[in-house]
Amino acid sequence: MAERVFITGVGIISAIGNNVQENLHHLREQKSGLGYTRHIDTIHKDVLPVGEVRADTPTLAAMAGVQDTPGYTRTTLLGLVAIQEALQSAGIKDARELPTAFINASTVGGMCDTEKVYFDILDPNKEGDFLKYIDTLDCADCTQRIADAVGIDEYVTTISTACSSSANALMYGARLIQQGLVQRAICGGTEALTRFTMNGFNSLKNIDKQFCRPFDQQRNGLNLGEGAAYLVLESESLVKERKAQVLAELSGWNNTNEAFHPTAPSPEGDGAYEAMKNALKMSGRSTADVQYVNVHGTATLNNDISEGIALERLFGTQVPKFSSTKAFTGHTLAAAGAIEAIFGVLAIREALIFPNLHFSQKMEELNITPETQLLENYPVNNVISNSFGFGGNNASLVISKYEG
Amino acid sequence: MKGKYYIQASAAISPQESFSGPFIPQLPVLADKNLLRIQEPDYSGFIPPNSLRRMSRVLKMGLVAALQCLRNGGVNMPGAIITGTGKGSLQDTERFLKNITEYAETALNPTPFIQSTYNSVNGLIALQQKYMQYNNTFVHRGFSFEHALLDSMMQLNEGNTDVVLVGAFEEISDEHFYIKGRIGYWKEALTQPAELLTSNTPGTIAGEGSAFFLLGNQPGNDPQACIEGMKMLYKPTEEKLHAALETFLSQHNLQPSDIDLLITGQNGDTNHDHYYHNLVVQYFPATNSLPFKTLCGEYDTAAAFALWIATRVIKEQGLKKVLIYNHFYGDQHTFLLLSK
Repeated sequence: MAERVFITGVGIISAIGNNVQENLHHLREQKSGLGYTRHIDTIHKDVLPVGEVRADTPTLAAMAGVQDTPGYTRTTLLGLVAIQEALQSAGIKDARELPTAFINASTVGGMCDTEKVYFDILDPNKEGDFLKYIDTLDCADCTQRIADAVGIDEYVTTISTACSSSANALMYGARLIQQGLVQRAICGGTEALTRFTMNGFNSLKNIDKQFCRPFDQQRNGLNLGEGAAYLVLESESLVKERKAQVLAELSGWNNTNEAFHPTAPSPEGDGAYEAMKNALKMSGRSTADVQYVNVHGTATLNNDISEGIALERLFGTQVPKFSSTKAFTGHTLAAAGAIEAIFGVLAIREALIFPNLHFSQKMEELNITPETQLLENYPVNNVISNSFGFGGNNASLVISKYEG
Repeated sequence: MKGKYYIQASAAISPQESFSGPFIPQLPVLADKNLLRIQEPDYSGFIPPNSLRRMSRVLKMGLVAALQCLRNGGVNMPGAIITGTGKGSLQDTERFLKNITEYAETALNPTPFIQSTYNSVNGLIALQQKYMQYNNTFVHRGFSFEHALLDSMMQLNEGNTDVVLVGAFEEISDEHFYIKGRIGYWKEALTQPAELLTSNTPGTIAGEGSAFFLLGNQPGNDPQACIEGMKMLYKPTEEKLHAALETFLSQHNLQPSDIDLLITGQNGDTNHDHYYHNLVVQYFPATNSLPFKTLCGEYDTAAAFALWIATRVIKEQGLKKVLIYNHFYGDQHTFLLLSK
């Protein structure tokens, strides 16, 4: 019998706050973090809304407790801020005390800083501080700097499956625990806004010039965001041994592929349906046990149809409360799965359902509409958290209330 | 990780003639740069011409090695597709970065952006095979392929499937070669692979390649080799490395002298070759060893090519126990134990 896997610590930084408490506060206040970039030099800066972390990079360095920052990219610093909170929240003073895994996720690694100096790096006549950023472009750079800073050296790796990256990082860490390779894994992702991704999604014509409207008939694309989030996962036996406080159980997960198109889901939501169905089956819960689905809900034309149909296929006429929190944070790509998993933990802990902001009109393809009110004192025992990405990568997590 | 994981089929595109025919290792001769490129196979038998035109090098070499591996194993639907790549599609990343500047962020072609995503090869394999199950991509330098393997082993342990397609791909571009050269990744003077290990200078020569494997819980119709165990170490001291080797071997009831062949990632870089040297001196003074990077150059997922070589020597020479020891610039170290 595989060990149960518990969530014992959480840490976030996003456009709606520098820690879990601030994120929760803004979710409750129903206050979106979307706005315009202050940190990126782009022609889109007053045109395309983003969910940007307010702190500039030197401020993030100070928050992360990094004195001198040679080669510390914004991606790394966001990650450091979030992981420190996650460790603290789990009551872990020193990550070195136990063999621990660090499974990180990113889609473009240190692109945020290398894109600024890329052409200087290519110019043989230029020398200078920018050379410190030469080796920071790949996704491993931020992972290793974070691992080194907090002292993790057992399993250190990075997953990149586009927008499902950190959901896959959570699954992988949970499986390492179940197979007995480690008792503790810290999993999540970090993503900084870049000109690269803004122009990438804009060239695909799926960025909305207005604030994104998930699951709305008038939706017209996503808004990118940035942030980082980590969850501390521990085996049941370790939790008992050290009498750790359990925030929730990661009770089910599944990863499927759409095999339909490089950047679009199938219209019937086959991958999303299978991922949710299998994750729920693994958790031992039935559809009736789910009170809330934190949908991927990017507000792109395709995702919301496909995901909505998958919800109707799985739950029939009894679709539970669902909402997309991307209208709060923007779409934080590789960090999204972990940020939203933490929102799932908060929904259970605080007995609340987050509203889907900016919704006004039901989609004609669907019979269902997202929850638009903040629901307090709403008992939540099981949450499905969805993350779907390019390459047909789908991931669903089931997060459950800890029943002892 | 310990167990029995059978390599049922494999395929490799590399600077060697590895894609078709028997494997006869050749030391390549470099013309003007310390860089080994793959010998490109004829991709037309695998990918329709209009798709081929749009695909960059790493997508082609990744997809085709994967498809050939499936053909070799007679498998259409593996139970999972898991890959590793340290750098993904450098060519597409560079192209999109340049386009952003060149066209001042307007009217950009999205194709290089889509293809620059690290999981695009995985997505293409799934799309081509209409395969809808587990799909994952690791992107962690010298642990990219290794974690893809570990994930595959876990999939088999979990009983989710009988056979997994696992592989790796990496390309070197001129631009990336230049960038990494600025921080000492490559040797300064032109150094031929034949002289690589005796050159006594810092840096090494760049390489690239793609290798895929069908890993199963049964030997399959045409068994190649068996993975018995793997141990990864992140930034270990030499003491910790040596202790880990001793533990690893004893877990498999082996003495160093039981190893028939040691395949090492030795690459002639005086900054990091001491790990190999000291380990060999202490444990394997009389063991046959094969330093594989003279054949393929250095890159994040070179260990996948080492595993491909191991399957060949085990099958063709009947070796019983082969140990691969590789590290990537001293940070990610891996022991991989194979048997007949």
